[in-house]
Amino acid sequence: MGIFRLGHVDIRVPDLELATAYYTEVLGLLEVAREPDRVYLKCWDEHDHHSVVLRYAPRYGLDHAMYKVDAADDLDVYERRLTDYGCTVRRMSPGEEPGMGEGIRFESPTGHQLELVHRVDKVGNLLPKTNPPPAPLSLPGIHPPRIDHVFLTCEDVDGATDFFMDILDFRLTEQLMASDGHRLGSWLERSHSPHDLALITGPQGGLHHFAFWLDDWNAVRAAADILAYHGVRIDMGPTRHGITRGYTIYFFDPVGNRNEVFTGGYWHDPDAEPITWTEDQMGKAIFYYEGAINEEFLAVHS
Amino acid sequence: MGILRLGHVDVRVPDLDLATAYYTNVMGMVEVGREVDKVYLKCWDEQDHHSVVLRYHPRPGLDHMSFKVESEDDLADLEGRLERAGAMVQRLAVGEERAVGQGLRFETPSGHVMELYAKADRVGSLLPAVNPAQPRPDGLAGIAPPRIDHLLVTAEEVGDATRFYMDVLGFRLTEQLLDGDGHQLGVWMERSHTPHDLAVVTGPNGGLHHWAYWLDDWDEIRRAADTLAYHDISIDVGPTRHGITRGETIYFFDPLGNRNEVFTGGYKPDPDWDVITWTEDQMGRGIFYWEDAINERFLTLHT
Repeated sequence: MGIFRLGHVDIRVPDLELATAYYTEVLGLLEVAREPDRVYLKCWDEHDHHSVVLRYAPRYGLDHAMYKVDAADDLDVYERRLTDYGCTVRRMSPGEEPGMGEGIRFESPTGHQLELVHRVDKVGNLLPKTNPPPAPLSLPGIHPPRIDHVFLTCEDVDGATDFFMDILDFRLTEQLMASDGHRLGSWLERSHSPHDLALITGPQGGLHHFAFWLDDWNAVRAAADILAYHGVRIDMGPTRHGITRGYTIYFFDPVGNRNEVFTGGYWHDPDAEPITWTEDQMGKAIFYYEGAINEEFLAVHS
Repeated sequence: MGILRLGHVDVRVPDLDLATAYYTNVMGMVEVGREVDKVYLKCWDEQDHHSVVLRYHPRPGLDHMSFKVESEDDLADLEGRLERAGAMVQRLAVGEERAVGQGLRFETPSGHVMELYAKADRVGSLLPAVNPAQPRPDGLAGIAPPRIDHLLVTAEEVGDATRFYMDVLGFRLTEQLLDGDGHQLGVWMERSHTPHDLAVVTGPNGGLHHWAYWLDDWDEIRRAADTLAYHDISIDVGPTRHGITRGETIYFFDPLGNRNEVFTGGYKPDPDWDVITWTEDQMGRGIFYWEDAINERFLTLHT
């Protein structure tokens, strides 16, 4: 069945200690492993080894994103398709990244390093698999149950959308069309959610944000309380998207990467028709309550 | 026991039809009476005749605010206190205000016309008082808040106004915002064991910053934002949270420029409550806890 969800994001941070403190105490992720220049983190309800890697680098941004595939055969299929498309594909052996099984790595036409991985070490969530309570108690910070999606920038959204749909089998849920008919943004899924990956016009290889799932609007409110308590700068929200119908807060980690907490939306089956938004309704499409987009949201990425 | 709650706000609107359409279709109040130049509205869970009066007037703003007291004895008692404090008190006869019993009318030191009354015609909520078959009526339009909650007015001398509302009218202070010199920039006062029935912030005498409707919870706030956005109502701030009152809120404008709020949350202050103080350097968090900043419009725009 191919890709079934976003596996991890590997994020560059110029201050590993500060970033780790933020992602563990404010976001409330769990540290699962550490190397001199990397920290591996997961959300409490994830079973795989990690979903976020913080990597020391002088400049913030995205090192790479990994999507998990269902079967070892999927790697062969995508390796062939990617090679035919013209991508240089490198095979990754198990353990080349901690916890990761066999995989492939390539650069997408959007200028991002992407990985597909078949198996990841299971470390389990924080609950037993027999007679579990609904949630662990006393977790710090926002403690989202899982990572949700990543939002990338690229120069040619049309071409990139074709690539992710034709080569990697992503399904289009929504698109934002410029008045001249080309796509300004597209929202793509593999997990029956409104998006596992979204693309917006901007520089090649850029990261607009990565997002964590929250269970409901009440959890969004609780997240805003926690962010404010810690003095974390909120970019937008709590508010609602027209696109995806989701509820959201955007904010920045202390080294400048944009985070999102997200909930709501709809269930997208493969037979769903994409929704189209036109540029004149872009304000409501992005921020439904405000009907307008702040300059920072459009201009700042990492 | 004196003042019970905010009874009604009487609001000036330069376009009565437009305002009525907004307050019934978007806010979701119920029209209960109409005269040539006035429309009377109530929220669905209110029992008294009306809680908002829209009054035709070329300029938007507050005509008067009206608080309900428990008994006619309270009126006599408060009349004496007001006169001793130097206020000119006018007695209102039964029905002088539509559907409202006898009352008092006077101007406060903050330049606002205020009324007190003990009785209003009971028209009942939209649910029966015996075996209400559902917790909320079906088919309500718009936001449909169950009741009005409070109002926030502006005054040049917040400290003087506060002393009047507390000493003469028996309001209790729940929170205050102090400037660096210890002067009150804003005060939040209650009579109904809520964070505020009346609040006063620095500004021109007689000004209205907003009046607010109660919503039941944060999910209703989300629904209200959906309704406002659908109707293209200009949202001033929110959904967000207040430091002061701890409440959750959206501010927005009616089509004539009067600011509305929907509000929920907060706490339940009893008369033995100790006042919470916010200092000016924390004013951003005090007013909008998540943003930690106040937009210019919120500080300067009132009617």
